[in-house]
Amino acid sequence: MSASTCYFVNGMEQENQEIALGLRHRDPDLLDRLIEQYQHRLMRYLTYLVGNSHTAEDLFQETWLRVLERGARYDGEHNFGTWLFSVARNLAIDYMRKKKPESLDAQSDTGSPGPTPVSPEPSAFEVVAGFEQSERILAALACVQPEYREALVLRFHEELSLDEIAVVTHAPLGTVKSRIYRGLRALMPRLKRALE
Amino acid sequence: MKQDIHERARNWLSDQQGLQPNEQAWLRHHLRDCAPCREYSEGVEQLIRALRSVPFAARPALVRSTQARVRTRAEELRRQRERLWLVLFSCLFVSLFGVGSTAFLWRGFAWLGHWSQVPDVVWQVGFAAFWIAPTIAASFLFLARGTHFADHNRSARG
Repeated sequence: MSASTCYFVNGMEQENQEIALGLRHRDPDLLDRLIEQYQHRLMRYLTYLVGNSHTAEDLFQETWLRVLERGARYDGEHNFGTWLFSVARNLAIDYMRKKKPESLDAQSDTGSPGPTPVSPEPSAFEVVAGFEQSERILAALACVQPEYREALVLRFHEELSLDEIAVVTHAPLGTVKSRIYRGLRALMPRLKRALE
Repeated sequence: MKQDIHERARNWLSDQQGLQPNEQAWLRHHLRDCAPCREYSEGVEQLIRALRSVPFAARPALVRSTQARVRTRAEELRRQRERLWLVLFSCLFVSLFGVGSTAFLWRGFAWLGHWSQVPDVVWQVGFAAFWIAPTIAASFLFLARGTHFADHNRSARG
């Protein structure tokens, strides 16, 4: 391991330890900062997971309340983002169980994961074209099985490593690999058609 | 079942960061020679670009209201924790005082029983009632307060 990599890893570990300490003390300033820092990533993950932006917003709030209440369980050894996604995932699963018999896929019919434009000042045409393309991509994604969709989003959108995805999803590494592979095979033809 | 080389290449395409240098070299070499896997690789690239092109942002109002809810809840939990410590210290104090004073109290009741010339069982029952009464009263009090807390939490979450 090079000196710069070692410095980076140590810095990450120290930051995780500081977060763990702050969560143990339920430090509201730390939580404010974490909410700001992870807002987009968490919202994006939840929206992809449940396929509905309104539900995702409810779960977003519940996730942070859960982080506050059970923050002492975060040991600081894993990346905080990984633990946060794991908390959000458990809440989403609880929500899905309560909402049975609808599946994750059926959720997307109640409303597409309405993306909120982030770019500062795009033209009207860019907004419409971008929105339509986003809609098509999301529709293609919504057709893929939820566990595959989740693995794809965590891997290619959130750029989590396979090991981290295994931690978040409580699945063995082999299963994660297989989900990504199968997800890619299922999504690619649909995406091709959507982008044509 | 053995993986064929194409399946292996496609599996590795989804985990390029985790590959060893010799595996990366093998993958590059394979992609140069194999048109279907190259096409698959381009598809993966396209997928990644497409996924990242979808703009997502949490609404600022959502973020603000989440921060406010978290702060309120943190304050509630802090107060609950303080109350819990108070109750724990009170219990500890009462227990220690009870252990220390029981012997004296027993003697006091015995003396009172002999002085008033009642049967032993009467002053012994009196002693038991006197000893247990505060515990029963406190239990009722905590049960009532506990119900109140539960309702309060439910309404705060709702």
